[in-house]
Amino acid sequence: MKPLKVGIIGDYDPNLLSHIPTNEALGHAGAALSVSVHSSWVPTQSLANGFDGSTLKRFDAIWCAPGSPYKSMDGALRGIQFARERGWPFIAT
Amino acid sequence: MLGIQDAEHEETAPGAPTRIISKLACSLVGRTQTIRVVPGSHAHQAYGEQEVIEQFYCNYGLNPEFRDKVDKGQLKITGVDLGGEARIVELSDHPFYVATLFVPQISSRPERPHPLIVAYLRAALAFQTSRRNSEERGRKF
Repeated sequence: MKPLKVGIIGDYDPNLLSHIPTNEALGHAGAALSVSVHSSWVPTQSLANGFDGSTLKRFDAIWCAPGSPYKSMDGALRGIQFARERGWPFIAT
Repeated sequence: MLGIQDAEHEETAPGAPTRIISKLACSLVGRTQTIRVVPGSHAHQAYGEQEVIEQFYCNYGLNPEFRDKVDKGQLKITGVDLGGEARIVELSDHPFYVATLFVPQISSRPERPHPLIVAYLRAALAFQTSRRNSEERGRKF
């Protein structure tokens, strides 16, 4: 099976309690479905200016990570809007 | 989504008039809560149960003043705590769009993957397959 590509919107910080477990939990769930999961963090600021969806289109699903306030709330919201309007599987935790 | 142009978050705009996301009456950092899940929702399908226990790590949530307004829109409240406050919301007309106030990834273990995250990846697999099929038919996605 082709690996699943998951884009995680958030400003990765290994010191936050939830960020490392986000990658790990994707691995656990992937193993349960016998599929490998490639996750990449997408910094909120990278979605803020001139966002046209191209950064997120390559993923099979989008996750909005915990950790507010985001470096760019606008970028986070644009990413979430993309998932909502274009029908990408989405979870925010 | 609801046409509220000045929607704000109390953490970044504490003085704003329309705080859709407001400080919780009681911090949920490090706490667990029982959540009641609405039958037929994505969350319910994922858990297979109507009552679940989840771990929280947050100080902000949906302002109860906006609860009814939100629930009348496309975003449905599909999980509440025992006091009726929103803990899970999801879009009804979307393949999988679920937001939780709790942090399911923290309680996931290799031998006990979190059911919501498994359901999310199942939706991702279906999406990947349907997209590949559309591309093979020459449709632009």
